[in-house]
Amino acid sequence: MGKKRERLDVIKDILQVVRDNRQIKPTRLLYASNLSPQMFKDYVDELLNKKFITLIEDKKGKKFYVIDSKGHDFLEEYKVIENFIENFGL
Amino acid sequence: MYPIFTHIKIYITRNEFISMDILNVIIENKEMLKILYGLIVVIICMIIVFKTDKIFRLSLYKGIRYLRNAFLFYGLAFFIRYIIGGLIIFGILNQSLNVTEILLFEFFLVMAGFFLLYSLIWKRIEGIGYKYPSTLVNPRIGIFYLITLGIVYLDFVWETFHFMFFSQIAIFTIATIISLRNFIKGSKQHRFLKFYFLAMFLSLVAWILNAISAYYYNWDKGIMINILLINIIIFLLFLYGVVKVTKRK
Repeated sequence: MGKKRERLDVIKDILQVVRDNRQIKPTRLLYASNLSPQMFKDYVDELLNKKFITLIEDKKGKKFYVIDSKGHDFLEEYKVIENFIENFGL
Repeated sequence: MYPIFTHIKIYITRNEFISMDILNVIIENKEMLKILYGLIVVIICMIIVFKTDKIFRLSLYKGIRYLRNAFLFYGLAFFIRYIIGGLIIFGILNQSLNVTEILLFEFFLVMAGFFLLYSLIWKRIEGIGYKYPSTLVNPRIGIFYLITLGIVYLDFVWETFHFMFFSQIAIFTIATIISLRNFIKGSKQHRFLKFYFLAMFLSLVAWILNAISAYYYNWDKGIMINILLINIIIFLLFLYGVVKVTKRK
């Protein structure tokens, strides 16, 4: 059995999927995230609250997630954050 | 007992007079040097807190926050003890603040030790998913506040530093063991772990020396200067780690 993903890894994975797709439908993001629907909702709500991602709607009323500048910042800093946590035993 | 650098001087020059001279200069200007020392530590703590601000805000990782709290409290402790304390000694601030200064210094110093230790063990206690609105004030940290207030109160009533010394030696013994384990587990991938262990070990040594100096040598100046030097090394080690690890490649 694989090691349980930590919170930061999950956030990184979700943001990477959103960034790589430019915009992604909620159901596709749910499948890609490998999370249960409840956990997925918790994470996505957190990312929306932190303004890492935004939910947009096209003319046909279809909803998509797109990454925000804070989300890009997080992905850029992710290695630094991970390194810091590991190096300081946090 | 002479401080480290006067020993070096003795071996280099074989001239005890010069070595004693350095020690005398330090002792004669000790209050000014203490302010300078406090200022250096406060600046290092501020740099650590500000340097880790961005990664904390992005990640909201509690371990980073507890570490930052530790250095925030160390900064406050050293500011109160050496800068406010210096101003009291020079008569710029009222002498009546002396007791408050000592009590606040002890409070922030002991709490900083608890925060540092908690930054290493919080995951085992809180769990990753456990959410508190604040890492500065929450029920678990509240326990440390209560213990710290108890320590400060007992030391104040008995007019000693027994409880502070005992608590800090206990904290840094545990922190040294945990950091040694972290170092053994991950030193190949994460190079700072060895410096972290070294910093914890030096902190333990500094607190033991502090207690020995207080109980057996009546706060011997030579030992105290060595402790201040060790403390500077510890803070510089942390600063080095923070600057190196947060540097973007």
